Amino acid sequence: METAVEINGIKKVYSGTIKALDGIDLRVSAGKVFALLGPNGAGKTTLMRILTTQIKPTSGDASIFGLDVMKDDAETRKLISYVPQEMSVWTDISGYENLLIYAKIYGIPASERKKLINGMLRTMGIESFAGSLVRNYSGGMIRRLEIACALLIKPKILFLDEPTIGLDPSARKTVWEKLMSFKDENGVTIFFNTHYMDEADTYSDQIAIMNAGKIVKLGTAQELKHSLGGEIISFGIEGKISAGAVKKVRGIKIVTGATADENGLRVFASDAGVALPRITDILEKSGVYIKEVSIKKPTLDDVFLKYAGTKIETAERVTDIRYTRERIKR
Amino acid sequence: MIAMMDSFRNILVMIELEARRIRHDRTELYVRAVQPVLWLVIYGSVMSAVKLIPTGGMSYIAYITPGVLLQSTAFVSIFFGLTIVWEKESGILKKLLVTPASRSSIVIGRSMAAGVRSILQAVIIIPIAMLIGVAFIPNPAYFILAFALIFLISAGFAAISIFIASFLKTRERFMGIGQAITFPLFFASNALYPIELMPPLLKEFALVNPMSYAVDAVRGLLISGNISNLAFDVSAITIFVVVMLAIASVSFKRIIE
Repeated sequence: METAVEINGIKKVYSGTIKALDGIDLRVSAGKVFALLGPNGAGKTTLMRILTTQIKPTSGDASIFGLDVMKDDAETRKLISYVPQEMSVWTDISGYENLLIYAKIYGIPASERKKLINGMLRTMGIESFAGSLVRNYSGGMIRRLEIACALLIKPKILFLDEPTIGLDPSARKTVWEKLMSFKDENGVTIFFNTHYMDEADTYSDQIAIMNAGKIVKLGTAQELKHSLGGEIISFGIEGKISAGAVKKVRGIKIVTGATADENGLRVFASDAGVALPRITDILEKSGVYIKEVSIKKPTLDDVFLKYAGTKIETAERVTDIRYTRERIKR
Repeated sequence: MIAMMDSFRNILVMIELEARRIRHDRTELYVRAVQPVLWLVIYGSVMSAVKLIPTGGMSYIAYITPGVLLQSTAFVSIFFGLTIVWEKESGILKKLLVTPASRSSIVIGRSMAAGVRSILQAVIIIPIAMLIGVAFIPNPAYFILAFALIFLISAGFAAISIFIASFLKTRERFMGIGQAITFPLFFASNALYPIELMPPLLKEFALVNPMSYAVDAVRGLLISGNISNLAFDVSAITIFVVVMLAIASVSFKRIIE
């Protein structure tokens, strides 16, 4: 299968000390939807800016459809499109005019422009607002317009940095539906950054989990979830679990992992029904009182927690609030 | 050759973009015309009554009209160039960098787009100057040339501010800096008084100040009709603009990172 993105040993160090990227290796096949999942500050945006020829890495190399992003940057830019995390359309002109300006920058011949722009407005479902100033658009419409601007040239690969950040659930859904229907018709490769687990889960063919400048796990959503073992057993407890007890739990044959914190114990096991009585036994013997037990199938949240060692939501909320405020200010 | 054509096209697109923005909202245009009009109407009338400044025979209001036009040009362009810091914070700049448009064409196009605003500003100021009795040389060719010079020097001023913007991390420091550049350009030039009146050090600054050459040229074309210095003025302005655009293009890298 054709390779869309290939990254070899990319490092990026800012101001001599801050390691944004700490040795990234990655390969993305053409025609796939690829999600880079990680909390804020993981280095997702830096990696995307390198891939889209905006900044240069400190070391390592990367190519897009065989073109070196540093040496053949001008050629690379003809194949790719990019929607940054921040708003990237002019709000004081209309949606149609935004597309017109980009069409001209891309050198689309005058005879084709109108038809192409109107088609793109329809695809993204914003044709009835084409003549209104963008400042009157909702957040979801702005995002769809930005994606329309990016898809105008029918790129071979589309880079989306946090495509639905700050949008309400229904707007997020619409954005993805439009994107997916465009993809099905035109076969574009999509590479997106996100910290929404559910988006990576629902829309991507492959996921890379990124944390602190490194890719910590790679696979399909299914593979990642399976890698945790079949089920997760959560214990709510009173008292403190000793390290020895956790070690004993880990020692049970069908248990693939266990983590304890102040709220309780989380155990990954291939068969919860078999593991549960043994774990209960160990806990009771070590003198902790079990308040509650729940069993569930792993979600990407659990995968993330295991491989990145932090919860993604804590980072998410702060940035969401900041971002929403930025939008209101404008 | 194709690259040149593409760059030229991108510069035109940036200019078109600015024209479209202004078409949707002209408020800023009018608001920014207030200050230069006050210079003419209040400062100009008072100082004409004093009759202390040698103007070579023309009325004082007529004498300062080109200066006020270029002060407005400098102010508009420098502010416009600085707004690139805004675009850095929004994603517009990032997005433009990923299009096939070359980086220098983005910088030059943006600088030239400042010219659109400056010209429209002049179109508002000149009729008001006429109303308060300033007599312009009724030669359309001179007018066209004066407007072309205002357009050209706008690009140079905008480029200065793109260069300065490359040192700014956020938009906070922004307003003060705009004024800190405009005021020396304005007061240390021949906009309000002849350079000969200045103390030695200031005189030397005024002689390297591009504003002085622009004022001299526009004054010759629109007010006095004496264009004996025109070729020299135009050369000085062109060199200034070309050098500034080159510096701005190089410093642009710092804005991106």
